[in-house]
Amino acid sequence: MKKIILASLMSLSLSASFAHAQSPWTGGDDLPTNPLACDGTAGTVAAKPYDGGEATNAPDRKGKTIKVVDVPKLVGIGYFNATSKGIADAAAEMKTMDAKTDGPTKANIDDQITLIDNYITSGVDGILFAANDPVAIAPVLKKALAAGINVVGYDANSTPDARQWFVNQAEFNGIAKSVIDNLAAEIGEDGAFAIVTSTFTTPNQARWIAEMGAYQAKCHPKMKWLETVEAQEDNILSFNQANTLINKYGDELKGIVGMTSVATPASADAVTQAGKCGKVAVVGLATPNAMKPYVESGCVKSVVLWNPVDLGYAAAYVLRATADGDLKPGATSVKAGKLGELKVINGSEVLLGSPFVFNKENIGQFDF
Amino acid sequence: MAFADHPTARRSERSLLHRLYSAYGQEAVILVAMVALFVIVGLINPRFLSPENLNTIFSGNAYIAVAAIGMAMIIITGHIDVSVGALIGVLATISGTLAVAGYPVWVAWLVPILVGMAVNALVGAMVAYARIPSIVVTLGMLSILRGGLISVTGGAWISGLPKEFLIAQAKPLGVPAPIYFMVILTLAAAFWMRYSAFGRSLYAIGGNPEAARASGIPIERRTVMVFVIHGAFAGLATLLFATQLQIIQSTVPPNLELTVITAAVIGGVSILGGTGTVIGSTLAAILFAAIGSALIFTNVSAYWLRAVIGVLILVTVLADMIRRRRQGRA
Amino acid sequence: MTRFLRHETILAVLAVIVLGILAYQSDRFFTVDNLLNQGRLMTEVGLVAILMTFVIATGGIDLSVGSIIGLTAILTGVFWQSVGLPLPLAALAAIACGTFGGFANGVIITRFGVPPLIATLATLALYRGLAEGISQARSVRGYPEWFYVLGQGNVLGVPTQLWLLVLTAIVAAIVLGLTRWGRTVYAIGNNEVAARFSGLPVDRAKLAIYTASGFAAAVAGVILVSRVSTTRSDMGTGLELDAITAVVLGGTSIFGGRGTIAGTVLGLILIQALKNGLSLAGVKGDGTIVLIGVVLIVTILISNIVHRNGNR
Repeated sequence: MKKIILASLMSLSLSASFAHAQSPWTGGDDLPTNPLACDGTAGTVAAKPYDGGEATNAPDRKGKTIKVVDVPKLVGIGYFNATSKGIADAAAEMKTMDAKTDGPTKANIDDQITLIDNYITSGVDGILFAANDPVAIAPVLKKALAAGINVVGYDANSTPDARQWFVNQAEFNGIAKSVIDNLAAEIGEDGAFAIVTSTFTTPNQARWIAEMGAYQAKCHPKMKWLETVEAQEDNILSFNQANTLINKYGDELKGIVGMTSVATPASADAVTQAGKCGKVAVVGLATPNAMKPYVESGCVKSVVLWNPVDLGYAAAYVLRATADGDLKPGATSVKAGKLGELKVINGSEVLLGSPFVFNKENIGQFDF
Repeated sequence: MAFADHPTARRSERSLLHRLYSAYGQEAVILVAMVALFVIVGLINPRFLSPENLNTIFSGNAYIAVAAIGMAMIIITGHIDVSVGALIGVLATISGTLAVAGYPVWVAWLVPILVGMAVNALVGAMVAYARIPSIVVTLGMLSILRGGLISVTGGAWISGLPKEFLIAQAKPLGVPAPIYFMVILTLAAAFWMRYSAFGRSLYAIGGNPEAARASGIPIERRTVMVFVIHGAFAGLATLLFATQLQIIQSTVPPNLELTVITAAVIGGVSILGGTGTVIGSTLAAILFAAIGSALIFTNVSAYWLRAVIGVLILVTVLADMIRRRRQGRA
Repeated sequence: MTRFLRHETILAVLAVIVLGILAYQSDRFFTVDNLLNQGRLMTEVGLVAILMTFVIATGGIDLSVGSIIGLTAILTGVFWQSVGLPLPLAALAAIACGTFGGFANGVIITRFGVPPLIATLATLALYRGLAEGISQARSVRGYPEWFYVLGQGNVLGVPTQLWLLVLTAIVAAIVLGLTRWGRTVYAIGNNEVAARFSGLPVDRAKLAIYTASGFAAAVAGVILVSRVSTTRSDMGTGLELDAITAVVLGGTSIFGGRGTIAGTVLGLILIQALKNGLSLAGVKGDGTIVLIGVVLIVTILISNIVHRNGNR
């Protein structure tokens, strides 16, 4: 019997300590933010000298067929399937690139490092990567550079000196502006919203959230950011978390922002099943195929994303240009097949473009 | 659910409450913890107890509870299965593929259950007849299923599921279908474990295999059967898991096996085999879900969620160990 | 003794065949550089697996090792950056905490009689939770250059941590194979009650083993930080299953009483060789995972069949 009392006391004291911690947390990182101007004038970017690395004693690969491995954060999610398709498309178009995708089955730094290490030994000419951790991946990438392998990142960067170029899908502050502006248009300037993200340790998501907070405070100061919840890369958990937010805030909650291609469709499903379409807006980053049901039913109005197929495609072309010696430090642009000239920013990054907004009119044209 | 061989000493001298407690010890602890949680969080934020939120907690996690029923049976028999999460991932993909390919929905519902039974029949046979410890077989299966799923699907998601396939979204009489599944399956399994000769023999096998064999229980056949039943529950869990949303993610849900095992164990199933009930495992699965939800409602940093669950597991287990010792002495 | 060696013999033959095939498949596999590098990559799992052999040989299991790695990694960073300890002291303090985590496992298991699987399942969640809570999802980076010697450097041409692994393996093999301690471990695994009645210090031995397992995981945590030059709270996730796979593949009975360090080392080498060699031969990561699962089941299956025929 004492145990029952003990158990109740335990839960009581636990709950009491819950009640003390009242400040919601944000899930952003603590790096400096650089919100864009509210009216959409381009941010001023100071010109920066090339800060990428150099492949030592790389053989002359100009025009030769090169063997390339693409190591995304993980395999098995829609987003990286799309980038992998883009890389394959580019390789098929060039006919001088032999590309394959191999990644960990879980977004795990250690598995990713081991994989890259093995490919260095097996003797590839080029490595494309999307880092699970910018610093942890650096030593193995430097090893690749030292072995004369061309290294280009996309989607998620490493420290600059560990790779030659990074193809930036859209700048963090640009994504943040696009998401928050779309959200404001749907829920109004004084609406309240919450965020569903993967984990607080995922660098890209943490960066976007931090930039979103800064931009919202600057340009939409009356909007209310309620809280951020974690949902791994798990769609049922995302669904449950989104439901819990709806239940917790009731009519106060006007919008949910999904930060991953898993969280956004799951949040949209939660809103649909709760019968809150039109009352709770869902905005977020996601791939169009996963979002089609919700966009076509009108429950979701806008999905923000760059085209990941183009991202993979551009990364493959940047790697080709680097291997050929056409893209050298100090260049201001690079030619990327059907995408045309892409701009070099931030010293050693290639910018894919502005984020794209999918809506009911255009989503049918995309298949990835 | 008291078990046949449970030491309940000096019945007559004890109050009804005591008797209930000693028979339903672990379940009682969890139930009390759960009620306390609901009351306290409900006082802090009444919306926690809104019907919608209770639906989210119960319905959104019913698949874990259903999978934990089969796991409880496996553990009671003295085995373990660390591959159940991967199996559910594979079965969900099979189910979704069939549904999208235009097969009748009942085929898309039934086939994963049958495949789950077949796969686990193989696992059970390796455990029972080839005498490979279950943790080894299922560790191997975990690798095979997880890697195989990605190899075959390439990680493509399944979308465009027909509306009538989404059984988990149905709400007969206003109550989500997963809740019916969870309650009916739990009660059926509990009665079956308690009153059927087969069910009772599982406790005997887990508690003392030599004695069970001596008393004429066909251990090998029963072991295979219990794995097959566990496979069926994995298939049923898949049914709820795959039909919750309009898309199926063809990857293995992260750490699902750990959640399922933990629910079974915290529900009072002794890892040594021989004792425990499926009601406890369902209660434990719901308790976890409720804690996760409660943390959001009380604005506790999710950074500490896992630490809280760890402490909770320790406290329940220690309380149970102390209770058992005391009963042993009485 | 022949019974003890049989599984290891099968495994050794299998390892030689696999190494042969892999070397034939890719001429880059059997090079000194590659093999040494593989040694570097397998050190963390190796350290944990060697101590896990003791744990499993007593009939126990330790699922919390991956979480101890994460906790130690986070604490190293926090002690160094937030508390301001000198880095060597910070690493030692973190290792001490990780070791204490193992000690706590031992106390829960021996004092309260909680089955090891449940006890360490609980601390798996608890230690990872502490790592997440303490770190607040922040990484600590920017360690001084000398610190990387441990994880990225070489001593006499061999990766620093590989020396540590080899040394640990030798000491562990001697302790388990040739000392009274080792016999106590097997005795506990064979029949704990009998061991207790024959006056062996069962609880003390188990407490020491779980503490040592925590220590090994903690050291592996610091090595991992040094190898990847950052700390994250999700480090070491799932490593416990890799370590257990190596130990079981190495012939240690999950029920206790049987197992050798030589077997575990062979198991480790076989898994690492498969991962590396298959990748060099052009097999993708997911295919490799499938094959490791098959190898695990088939090896134990063959070993069981041989055993049974030998016994009857």
